[in-house]
Amino acid sequence: MTTKDKPNNQRFHFDFGEVFSKTKSFIDAYNNRQTQLTQKLNANQRATAELMIRLYLKQLNKVAQLDTLDPDNLPGFNTYNESLAKCKGCTKRTIINHRERLVNAGFIAKEQHCGKGGVEIWLNPVVLGMAKLSTNYGDNVVKIGDVASLFYEKAKNFHPLVHEQQEQLNNNSKVDKSGTQISGVPYGHESGKATGTGHEQDKNTEENANPAPERQVKAPERQCKAEKQEQQAGAGRIFLLSLIRQFWDYTRKVLYPDLIISEPEEREILNLIWESVYGKFQWNATQKEWLKYQDTAFNRVNMVARWLARSPGHWIPKPHIYFHPNNKRNGFKKTWQWYVKQETLKIEIRNQLLLQQVKAEWQQHEQNKGRFREKTRLQLFRIQQKRLADYRDESLMQAYQQCLNSSLQLQKLKRKQPAHAQ
Amino acid sequence: MLNENMQREALTKCIVWFYDGNCRTFYSFDKTHKRANPNQALGIRRLEKMLMETFKGQWETAIIYENKPNSNELARFKRGARV
Repeated sequence: MTTKDKPNNQRFHFDFGEVFSKTKSFIDAYNNRQTQLTQKLNANQRATAELMIRLYLKQLNKVAQLDTLDPDNLPGFNTYNESLAKCKGCTKRTIINHRERLVNAGFIAKEQHCGKGGVEIWLNPVVLGMAKLSTNYGDNVVKIGDVASLFYEKAKNFHPLVHEQQEQLNNNSKVDKSGTQISGVPYGHESGKATGTGHEQDKNTEENANPAPERQVKAPERQCKAEKQEQQAGAGRIFLLSLIRQFWDYTRKVLYPDLIISEPEEREILNLIWESVYGKFQWNATQKEWLKYQDTAFNRVNMVARWLARSPGHWIPKPHIYFHPNNKRNGFKKTWQWYVKQETLKIEIRNQLLLQQVKAEWQQHEQNKGRFREKTRLQLFRIQQKRLADYRDESLMQAYQQCLNSSLQLQKLKRKQPAHAQ
Repeated sequence: MLNENMQREALTKCIVWFYDGNCRTFYSFDKTHKRANPNQALGIRRLEKMLMETFKGQWETAIIYENKPNSNELARFKRGARV
Protein backbone atom coordinates (compact mmCIF):
# COMPACT_ATOMS: atom_id res chain seq x y z
CA MET A 1 0.00 0.00 0.00
CA THR A 2 1.40 3.35 0.97
CA THR A 3 4.43 1.89 2.71
CA LYS A 4 6.38 1.82 -0.54
CA ASP A 5 6.28 5.58 -0.86
CA LYS A 6 7.66 6.20 2.58
CA PRO A 7 11.28 6.73 3.46
CA ASN A 8 12.96 3.62 4.86
CA ASN A 9 14.35 5.17 8.01
CA GLN A 10 10.91 5.54 9.60
CA ARG A 11 9.77 2.73 11.88
CA PHE A 12 6.81 0.53 11.05
CA HIS A 13 3.89 -0.04 13.25
CA PHE A 14 1.26 -2.66 12.49
CA ASP A 15 -2.07 -1.73 13.91
CA PHE A 16 -3.74 -4.86 15.27
CA GLY A 17 -7.31 -3.65 14.77
CA GLU A 18 -6.84 -2.71 11.16
CA VAL A 19 -5.05 -5.90 10.20
CA PHE A 20 -7.73 -7.94 11.94
CA SER A 21 -10.51 -6.20 10.05
CA LYS A 22 -8.52 -6.75 6.87
CA THR A 23 -8.15 -10.44 7.74
CA LYS A 24 -11.83 -10.69 8.39
CA SER A 25 -12.80 -9.05 5.15
CA PHE A 26 -10.34 -11.29 3.29
CA ILE A 27 -11.85 -14.46 4.75
CA ASP A 28 -15.40 -13.17 4.25
CA ALA A 29 -14.64 -12.41 0.64
CA TYR A 30 -13.16 -15.87 0.16
CA ASN A 31 -16.17 -17.52 1.78
CA ASN A 32 -18.53 -15.53 -0.38
CA ARG A 33 -16.75 -16.72 -3.48
CA GLN A 34 -17.19 -20.38 -2.53
CA THR A 35 -20.40 -22.09 -3.49
CA GLN A 36 -19.95 -25.29 -1.51
CA LEU A 37 -20.22 -25.23 2.23
CA THR A 38 -17.25 -27.58 2.67
CA GLN A 39 -14.96 -25.27 0.80
CA LYS A 40 -15.58 -22.31 3.06
CA LEU A 41 -13.35 -21.45 6.00
CA ASN A 42 -15.16 -22.16 9.23
CA ALA A 43 -14.87 -20.24 12.47
CA ASN A 44 -12.24 -22.62 13.78
CA GLN A 45 -9.97 -22.01 10.81
CA ARG A 46 -10.69 -18.32 11.07
CA ALA A 47 -9.57 -18.42 14.69
CA THR A 48 -6.30 -20.11 13.68
CA ALA A 49 -5.72 -17.44 11.07
CA GLU A 50 -6.33 -14.71 13.62
CA LEU A 51 -4.04 -16.35 16.14
CA MET A 52 -1.30 -16.47 13.55
CA ILE A 53 -1.90 -12.84 12.65
CA ARG A 54 -1.77 -11.79 16.29
CA LEU A 55 1.52 -13.55 16.96
CA TYR A 56 3.03 -12.41 13.68
CA LEU A 57 2.17 -8.77 14.31
CA LYS A 58 3.69 -8.99 17.77
CA GLN A 59 6.88 -10.35 16.25
CA LEU A 60 6.95 -7.71 13.55
CA ASN A 61 6.28 -4.82 15.90
CA LYS A 62 9.02 -6.02 18.19
CA VAL A 63 11.46 -6.37 15.34
CA ALA A 64 10.45 -2.96 14.01
CA GLN A 65 11.60 -1.47 17.30
CA LEU A 66 14.99 -3.14 17.03
CA ASP A 67 15.64 -2.79 13.36
CA THR A 68 14.27 -1.12 10.23
CA LEU A 69 11.95 -3.34 8.23
CA ASP A 70 11.86 -3.54 4.48
CA PRO A 71 8.17 -3.27 3.51
CA ASP A 72 8.70 -5.21 0.27
CA ASN A 73 10.58 -7.98 1.95
CA LEU A 74 9.02 -8.58 5.35
CA PRO A 75 10.41 -11.50 7.35
CA GLY A 76 8.17 -14.54 7.54
CA PHE A 77 6.28 -15.66 10.60
CA ASN A 78 8.45 -18.22 12.27
CA THR A 79 6.50 -20.67 14.32
CA TYR A 80 6.05 -24.25 15.39
CA ASN A 81 2.96 -26.37 14.95
CA GLU A 82 3.19 -27.54 18.52
CA SER A 83 3.36 -24.10 20.05
CA LEU A 84 0.47 -22.89 17.89
CA ALA A 85 -1.52 -25.93 18.98
CA LYS A 86 -0.70 -25.14 22.61
CA CYS A 87 -1.74 -21.53 22.16
CA LYS A 88 -5.01 -22.52 20.59
CA GLY A 89 -5.73 -25.51 22.78
CA CYS A 90 -5.98 -28.07 20.00
CA THR A 91 -3.83 -30.81 18.51
CA LYS A 92 -0.87 -30.38 16.20
CA ARG A 93 -2.72 -32.16 13.42
CA THR A 94 -5.53 -29.59 13.58
CA ILE A 95 -3.05 -26.78 13.07
CA ILE A 96 -1.51 -28.58 10.08
CA ASN A 97 -4.98 -29.09 8.56
CA HIS A 98 -5.93 -25.48 9.15
CA ARG A 99 -2.70 -24.27 7.60
CA GLU A 100 -3.42 -26.36 4.55
CA ARG A 101 -6.87 -24.83 4.23
CA LEU A 102 -5.46 -21.35 4.65
CA VAL A 103 -2.88 -22.00 1.94
CA ASN A 104 -5.67 -23.11 -0.40
CA ALA A 105 -7.63 -20.00 0.46
CA GLY A 106 -4.63 -17.82 -0.40
CA PHE A 107 -4.39 -16.44 3.12
CA ILE A 108 -0.93 -17.97 3.47
CA ALA A 109 1.15 -17.00 0.47
CA LYS A 110 4.12 -19.26 1.09
CA GLU A 111 5.32 -21.84 3.58
CA GLN A 112 8.81 -23.04 4.27
CA HIS A 113 9.53 -26.00 6.47
CA CYS A 114 12.77 -25.61 8.37
CA GLY A 115 12.88 -29.00 10.10
CA LYS A 116 13.78 -28.41 13.73
CA GLY A 117 13.48 -24.67 13.12
CA GLY A 118 9.72 -24.99 12.70
CA VAL A 119 7.76 -23.45 9.86
CA GLU A 120 8.19 -20.07 8.25
CA ILE A 121 4.97 -18.62 6.94
CA TRP A 122 4.50 -15.63 4.67
CA LEU A 123 1.02 -14.23 4.79
CA ASN A 124 -0.82 -12.73 1.88
CA PRO A 125 0.31 -9.08 1.52
CA VAL A 126 -3.33 -8.07 1.06
CA VAL A 127 -3.95 -9.09 4.65
CA LEU A 128 -0.91 -7.14 5.85
CA GLY A 129 -1.78 -4.27 3.53
CA MET A 130 -2.69 -2.28 6.61
CA ALA A 131 1.00 -1.94 7.46
CA LYS A 132 1.75 1.71 7.78
CA LEU A 133 4.04 4.12 9.46
CA SER A 134 3.23 5.16 12.98
CA THR A 135 3.53 8.81 12.01
CA ASN A 136 0.83 8.62 9.38
CA TYR A 137 -2.35 7.84 11.18
CA GLY A 138 -4.21 10.56 9.38
CA ASP A 139 -3.20 9.42 5.94
CA ASN A 140 -6.13 9.81 3.59
CA VAL A 141 -4.60 7.54 0.99
CA VAL A 142 -4.70 4.63 3.38
CA LYS A 143 -8.32 5.20 4.21
CA ILE A 144 -9.29 5.47 0.58
CA GLY A 145 -7.34 2.31 -0.15
CA ASP A 146 -9.17 0.42 2.58
CA VAL A 147 -12.56 1.55 1.45
CA ALA A 148 -11.72 0.78 -2.16
CA SER A 149 -10.54 -2.73 -1.35
CA LEU A 150 -13.63 -3.43 0.72
CA PHE A 151 -15.84 -2.09 -1.99
CA TYR A 152 -14.04 -4.14 -4.59
CA GLU A 153 -14.50 -7.34 -2.66
CA LYS A 154 -18.15 -6.66 -2.12
CA ALA A 155 -18.89 -5.51 -5.63
CA LYS A 156 -17.23 -8.60 -6.99
CA ASN A 157 -19.65 -10.88 -5.18
CA PHE A 158 -22.74 -8.70 -5.61
CA HIS A 159 -23.50 -9.12 -1.97
CA PRO A 160 -25.94 -6.78 -0.26
CA LEU A 161 -23.87 -4.00 1.23
CA VAL A 162 -26.12 -3.46 4.23
CA HIS A 163 -26.00 -7.09 5.25
CA GLU A 164 -22.29 -7.26 4.77
CA GLN A 165 -21.78 -4.25 6.98
CA GLN A 166 -23.84 -5.68 9.80
CA GLU A 167 -22.14 -9.00 9.45
CA GLN A 168 -18.78 -7.29 9.89
CA LEU A 169 -19.84 -5.56 13.04
CA ASN A 170 -21.44 -8.58 14.65
CA ASN A 171 -19.51 -11.42 13.21
CA ASN A 172 -19.38 -13.64 16.23
CA SER A 173 -21.73 -11.94 18.58
CA LYS A 174 -24.42 -14.19 20.02
CA VAL A 175 -26.54 -11.40 21.42
CA ASP A 176 -29.12 -9.18 19.77
CA LYS A 177 -29.58 -11.29 16.69
CA SER A 178 -32.19 -9.59 14.57
CA GLY A 179 -33.67 -10.91 11.37
CA THR A 180 -31.49 -8.75 9.19
CA GLN A 181 -28.34 -9.97 10.87
CA ILE A 182 -29.16 -13.60 10.26
CA SER A 183 -29.89 -12.94 6.64
CA GLY A 184 -26.70 -10.86 6.37
CA VAL A 185 -24.41 -13.59 7.68
CA PRO A 186 -22.94 -15.47 4.73
CA TYR A 187 -22.96 -19.25 4.40
CA GLY A 188 -19.53 -19.67 5.82
CA HIS A 189 -20.56 -18.27 9.13
CA GLU A 190 -23.58 -20.47 9.32
CA SER A 191 -21.30 -23.42 8.94
CA GLY A 192 -18.85 -21.97 11.40
CA LYS A 193 -21.58 -21.66 13.95
CA ALA A 194 -22.59 -25.23 13.40
CA THR A 195 -19.16 -26.78 13.57
CA GLY A 196 -17.10 -24.32 15.59
CA THR A 197 -16.90 -24.29 19.35
CA GLY A 198 -17.44 -21.38 21.69
CA HIS A 199 -13.71 -21.17 22.16
CA GLU A 200 -12.92 -19.76 18.73
CA GLN A 201 -15.88 -17.48 18.82
CA ASP A 202 -14.55 -15.99 22.02
CA LYS A 203 -11.18 -15.30 20.52
CA ASN A 204 -12.72 -13.53 17.59
CA THR A 205 -14.99 -11.46 19.73
CA GLU A 206 -12.05 -10.39 21.81
CA GLU A 207 -10.31 -9.04 18.78
CA ASN A 208 -13.39 -7.33 17.43
CA ALA A 209 -13.48 -5.29 20.63
CA ASN A 210 -17.09 -6.17 21.30
CA PRO A 211 -18.11 -6.17 24.95
CA ALA A 212 -16.90 -9.63 25.95
CA PRO A 213 -18.48 -11.86 28.57
CA GLU A 214 -16.39 -13.12 31.48
CA ARG A 215 -15.39 -16.46 29.98
CA GLN A 216 -14.24 -14.70 26.85
CA VAL A 217 -11.78 -12.60 28.81
CA LYS A 218 -10.37 -15.67 30.53
CA ALA A 219 -9.36 -17.42 27.32
CA PRO A 220 -6.25 -15.35 26.50
CA GLU A 221 -5.02 -15.57 30.10
CA ARG A 222 -4.93 -19.32 29.85
CA GLN A 223 -2.79 -19.14 26.74
CA CYS A 224 -0.67 -16.28 27.87
CA LYS A 225 2.46 -18.26 28.77
CA ALA A 226 2.62 -20.34 25.64
CA GLU A 227 1.87 -17.29 23.55
CA LYS A 228 4.63 -15.32 25.21
CA GLN A 229 7.15 -18.09 24.67
CA GLU A 230 6.12 -18.36 21.06
CA GLN A 231 6.40 -14.63 20.56
CA GLN A 232 9.79 -14.42 22.26
CA ALA A 233 11.19 -17.33 20.28
CA GLY A 234 9.94 -15.89 17.01
CA ALA A 235 11.11 -12.33 17.66
CA GLY A 236 14.46 -13.58 18.90
CA ARG A 237 14.87 -15.66 15.81
CA ILE A 238 14.08 -12.76 13.51
CA PHE A 239 16.56 -10.62 15.45
CA LEU A 240 19.29 -13.24 15.05
CA LEU A 241 18.60 -13.64 11.36
CA SER A 242 18.77 -9.87 10.94
CA LEU A 243 22.29 -10.05 12.42
CA ILE A 244 23.38 -12.37 9.62
CA ARG A 245 21.81 -10.11 7.01
CA GLN A 246 23.55 -7.03 8.49
CA PHE A 247 26.87 -8.83 8.63
CA TRP A 248 26.63 -9.92 5.00
CA ASP A 249 25.57 -6.44 3.83
CA TYR A 250 28.54 -4.91 5.62
CA THR A 251 30.99 -7.55 4.40
CA ARG A 252 29.77 -7.19 0.85
CA LYS A 253 30.23 -3.44 0.99
CA VAL A 254 33.71 -3.63 2.50
CA LEU A 255 35.25 -6.78 1.01
CA TYR A 256 33.27 -7.47 -2.16
CA PRO A 257 32.15 -4.09 -3.52
CA ASP A 258 32.04 -5.26 -7.16
CA LEU A 259 30.40 -8.60 -6.58
CA ILE A 260 27.25 -9.41 -8.56
CA ILE A 261 25.36 -12.44 -7.29
CA SER A 262 21.93 -13.90 -7.76
CA GLU A 263 19.40 -14.61 -5.06
CA PRO A 264 20.13 -18.35 -4.63
CA GLU A 265 23.83 -17.63 -4.34
CA GLU A 266 23.19 -14.98 -1.70
CA ARG A 267 20.96 -17.39 0.19
CA GLU A 268 23.74 -19.96 0.19
CA ILE A 269 26.25 -17.41 1.48
CA LEU A 270 23.88 -16.38 4.28
CA ASN A 271 23.56 -20.03 5.28
CA LEU A 272 27.32 -20.41 5.31
CA ILE A 273 27.71 -17.29 7.45
CA TRP A 274 25.07 -18.62 9.81
CA GLU A 275 27.11 -21.78 10.20
CA SER A 276 30.69 -20.54 10.19
CA VAL A 277 30.48 -17.07 11.75
CA TYR A 278 27.56 -17.48 14.14
CA GLY A 279 27.95 -21.21 14.89
CA LYS A 280 24.31 -21.92 13.98
CA PHE A 281 23.28 -19.74 16.93
CA GLN A 282 23.94 -22.59 19.32
CA TRP A 283 25.43 -20.20 21.85
CA ASN A 284 22.68 -19.35 24.32
CA ALA A 285 23.33 -15.65 24.63
CA THR A 286 21.21 -12.59 25.22
CA GLN A 287 20.54 -10.03 22.52
CA LYS A 288 23.07 -7.71 24.11
CA GLU A 289 25.75 -10.37 23.94
CA TRP A 290 24.92 -11.09 20.33
CA LEU A 291 25.21 -7.41 19.51
CA LYS A 292 28.62 -7.37 21.17
CA TYR A 293 29.64 -10.38 19.13
CA GLN A 294 28.36 -8.62 16.03
CA ASP A 295 30.76 -5.75 16.76
CA THR A 296 33.66 -8.17 16.99
CA ALA A 297 32.59 -9.71 13.69
CA PHE A 298 32.55 -6.25 12.07
CA ASN A 299 35.99 -5.62 13.58
CA ARG A 300 37.25 -8.80 12.00
CA VAL A 301 35.92 -7.70 8.62
CA ASN A 302 37.69 -4.37 9.06
CA MET A 303 40.90 -6.19 9.88
CA VAL A 304 40.60 -8.18 6.65
CA ALA A 305 39.94 -4.98 4.70
CA ARG A 306 43.08 -3.40 6.18
CA TRP A 307 45.08 -6.52 5.39
CA LEU A 308 43.88 -6.44 1.79
CA ALA A 309 44.74 -2.77 1.45
CA ARG A 310 48.24 -3.38 2.81
CA SER A 311 49.51 -5.26 -0.23
CA PRO A 312 48.26 -5.99 -3.78
CA GLY A 313 49.44 -9.57 -3.32
CA HIS A 314 46.84 -10.14 -0.59
CA TRP A 315 43.55 -11.67 -1.71
CA ILE A 316 40.57 -13.50 -0.34
CA PRO A 317 38.52 -16.19 -2.13
CA LYS A 318 34.93 -15.82 -3.29
CA PRO A 319 32.37 -15.56 -0.47
CA HIS A 320 31.01 -19.09 -0.81
CA ILE A 321 34.54 -20.40 -0.20
CA TYR A 322 35.60 -17.70 2.22
CA PHE A 323 32.71 -18.35 4.59
CA HIS A 324 32.66 -22.11 4.16
CA PRO A 325 32.85 -23.77 7.59
CA ASN A 326 35.30 -26.41 6.33
CA ASN A 327 37.71 -23.91 4.83
CA LYS A 328 40.66 -24.01 7.20
CA ARG A 329 43.19 -22.67 4.75
CA ASN A 330 42.01 -19.22 3.84
CA GLY A 331 38.60 -18.87 5.46
CA PHE A 332 37.10 -16.12 7.55
CA LYS A 333 37.42 -18.35 10.63
CA LYS A 334 41.13 -17.62 10.75
CA THR A 335 40.47 -13.97 11.49
CA TRP A 336 39.31 -14.99 14.94
CA GLN A 337 42.97 -15.75 15.79
CA TRP A 338 43.95 -12.34 14.42
CA TYR A 339 41.30 -10.70 16.51
CA VAL A 340 42.35 -12.50 19.70
CA LYS A 341 45.98 -11.58 19.04
CA GLN A 342 45.08 -7.95 18.46
CA GLU A 343 42.95 -7.71 21.58
CA THR A 344 45.63 -9.40 23.71
CA LEU A 345 48.20 -6.97 22.42
CA LYS A 346 45.91 -4.05 23.20
CA ILE A 347 45.43 -5.30 26.76
CA GLU A 348 49.17 -5.82 27.22
CA ILE A 349 49.92 -2.29 26.06
CA ARG A 350 47.23 -0.89 28.33
CA ASN A 351 48.65 -2.83 31.28
CA GLN A 352 52.16 -1.61 30.57
CA LEU A 353 50.98 1.99 30.46
CA LEU A 354 49.11 1.57 33.73
CA LEU A 355 52.15 0.05 35.44
CA GLN A 356 54.35 2.84 34.14
CA GLN A 357 51.93 5.32 35.63
CA VAL A 358 51.98 3.45 38.95
CA LYS A 359 55.77 3.44 39.03
CA ALA A 360 55.92 7.14 38.26
CA GLU A 361 53.47 7.85 41.08
CA TRP A 362 55.61 5.91 43.57
CA GLN A 363 58.75 7.72 42.48
CA GLN A 364 57.03 11.09 42.78
CA HIS A 365 55.68 10.10 46.17
CA GLU A 366 59.23 9.25 47.33
CA GLN A 367 60.38 12.68 46.27
CA ASN A 368 57.36 14.38 47.88
CA LYS A 369 56.06 15.46 44.49
CA GLY A 370 52.95 14.83 42.46
CA ARG A 371 49.29 14.96 43.36
CA PHE A 372 49.56 12.17 45.96
CA ARG A 373 52.42 13.72 47.95
CA GLU A 374 50.18 14.39 50.94
CA LYS A 375 48.88 10.80 51.07
CA THR A 376 50.50 8.09 53.14
CA ARG A 377 52.06 5.09 51.44
CA LEU A 378 49.11 2.92 52.46
CA GLN A 379 46.62 5.42 51.07
CA LEU A 380 48.51 5.58 47.80
CA PHE A 381 48.55 1.79 47.65
CA ARG A 382 44.78 1.65 48.25
CA ILE A 383 44.08 4.27 45.58
CA GLN A 384 46.17 2.44 43.02
CA GLN A 385 44.72 -0.92 43.94
CA LYS A 386 41.18 0.41 43.56
CA ARG A 387 41.98 1.99 40.23
CA LEU A 388 43.54 -1.17 38.83
CA ALA A 389 40.82 -3.43 40.24
CA ASP A 390 38.32 -1.61 38.05
CA TYR A 391 39.87 -3.27 35.00
CA ARG A 392 39.09 -6.72 36.46
CA ASP A 393 42.28 -8.18 35.09
CA GLU A 394 44.07 -10.68 37.28
CA SER A 395 47.28 -10.56 35.30
CA LEU A 396 47.35 -6.81 35.78
CA MET A 397 47.00 -7.18 39.54
CA GLN A 398 49.78 -9.77 39.64
CA ALA A 399 52.02 -7.51 37.59
CA TYR A 400 51.17 -4.67 39.97
CA GLN A 401 52.20 -6.76 42.99
CA GLN A 402 55.46 -7.75 41.31
CA CYS A 403 56.07 -4.14 40.45
CA LEU A 404 55.45 -3.12 44.07
CA ASN A 405 57.76 -5.83 45.41
CA SER A 406 60.57 -4.88 43.08
CA SER A 407 60.22 -1.19 43.87
CA LEU A 408 60.19 -1.93 47.63
CA GLN A 409 63.30 -4.11 47.30
CA LEU A 410 64.99 -1.37 45.33
CA GLN A 411 64.20 1.07 48.07
CA LYS A 412 65.62 -1.32 50.69
CA LEU A 413 68.78 -1.74 48.67
CA LYS A 414 69.10 2.00 48.30
CA ARG A 415 68.83 2.42 52.05
CA LYS A 416 71.41 -0.31 52.70
CA GLN A 417 73.95 1.07 50.25
CA PRO A 418 74.52 4.37 52.07
CA ALA A 419 74.80 2.42 55.36
CA HIS A 420 77.57 0.20 53.92
CA ALA A 421 79.34 3.21 52.50
CA GLN A 422 79.53 4.78 55.96
CA MET B 1 24.98 -33.24 -22.50
CA LEU B 2 22.52 -34.16 -19.77
CA ASN B 3 19.77 -36.63 -20.52
CA GLU B 4 16.14 -35.52 -20.63
CA ASN B 5 15.36 -36.56 -17.11
CA MET B 6 18.28 -34.60 -15.73
CA GLN B 7 17.31 -31.62 -17.84
CA ARG B 8 13.86 -31.73 -16.27
CA GLU B 9 15.31 -31.97 -12.78
CA ALA B 10 17.82 -29.14 -13.30
CA LEU B 11 17.07 -26.05 -11.24
CA THR B 12 18.61 -23.57 -13.67
CA LYS B 13 19.29 -23.29 -17.37
CA CYS B 14 21.62 -21.10 -19.35
CA ILE B 15 20.92 -19.80 -22.81
CA VAL B 16 24.07 -18.85 -24.68
CA TRP B 17 24.30 -16.81 -27.86
CA PHE B 18 27.60 -17.55 -29.60
CA TYR B 19 29.55 -15.23 -31.87
CA ASP B 20 29.12 -17.67 -34.76
CA GLY B 21 25.35 -17.14 -34.62
CA ASN B 22 24.48 -20.34 -32.79
CA CYS B 23 22.29 -20.38 -29.71
CA ARG B 24 22.30 -23.21 -27.22
CA THR B 25 20.64 -24.03 -23.93
CA PHE B 26 22.61 -25.68 -21.16
CA TYR B 27 21.11 -27.18 -18.03
CA SER B 28 22.72 -27.09 -14.64
CA PHE B 29 23.91 -30.07 -12.67
CA ASP B 30 23.08 -29.15 -9.10
CA LYS B 31 24.34 -32.09 -7.07
CA THR B 32 27.71 -32.86 -5.55
CA HIS B 33 26.95 -36.56 -5.59
CA LYS B 34 24.12 -38.82 -6.69
CA ARG B 35 22.05 -38.61 -3.52
CA ALA B 36 22.94 -35.08 -2.47
CA ASN B 37 20.33 -32.39 -2.04
CA PRO B 38 20.24 -30.17 -5.11
CA ASN B 39 22.04 -26.88 -4.60
CA GLN B 40 20.91 -24.15 -6.96
CA ALA B 41 23.86 -21.90 -6.18
CA LEU B 42 26.25 -24.70 -7.08
CA GLY B 43 24.50 -25.17 -10.43
CA ILE B 44 24.77 -21.46 -11.18
CA ARG B 45 28.47 -21.45 -10.30
CA ARG B 46 29.09 -24.42 -12.56
CA LEU B 47 27.31 -22.73 -15.45
CA GLU B 48 29.35 -19.59 -14.84
CA LYS B 49 32.54 -21.63 -14.82
CA MET B 50 31.51 -23.23 -18.10
CA LEU B 51 30.99 -19.80 -19.67
CA MET B 52 34.19 -18.31 -18.31
CA GLU B 53 36.49 -21.27 -18.93
CA THR B 54 35.11 -23.85 -21.35
CA PHE B 55 33.53 -21.42 -23.82
CA LYS B 56 35.83 -18.50 -23.08
CA GLY B 57 35.82 -15.96 -25.92
CA GLN B 58 33.19 -17.83 -27.93
CA TRP B 59 29.96 -16.24 -26.76
CA GLU B 60 28.49 -12.79 -26.82
CA THR B 61 25.57 -13.05 -24.41
CA ALA B 62 24.50 -15.62 -21.87
CA ILE B 63 21.54 -15.57 -19.53
CA ILE B 64 20.83 -17.91 -16.65
CA TYR B 65 17.18 -18.56 -15.84
CA GLU B 66 15.32 -20.72 -13.35
CA ASN B 67 14.32 -23.94 -15.07
CA LYS B 68 10.58 -23.32 -14.83
CA PRO B 69 7.93 -21.97 -17.18
CA ASN B 70 7.76 -18.15 -16.99
CA SER B 71 10.89 -18.21 -14.89
CA ASN B 72 12.97 -15.39 -13.47
CA GLU B 73 16.30 -14.31 -14.81
CA LEU B 74 19.06 -15.04 -12.31
CA ALA B 75 22.24 -13.82 -14.00
CA ARG B 76 23.26 -12.14 -17.22
CA PHE B 77 26.65 -12.17 -18.91
CA LYS B 78 27.87 -9.97 -21.74
CA ARG B 79 31.13 -10.37 -23.63
CA GLY B 80 32.90 -12.31 -20.94
CA ALA B 81 31.68 -10.42 -17.90
CA ARG B 82 28.75 -10.67 -15.52
CA VAL B 83 26.46 -7.66 -15.65
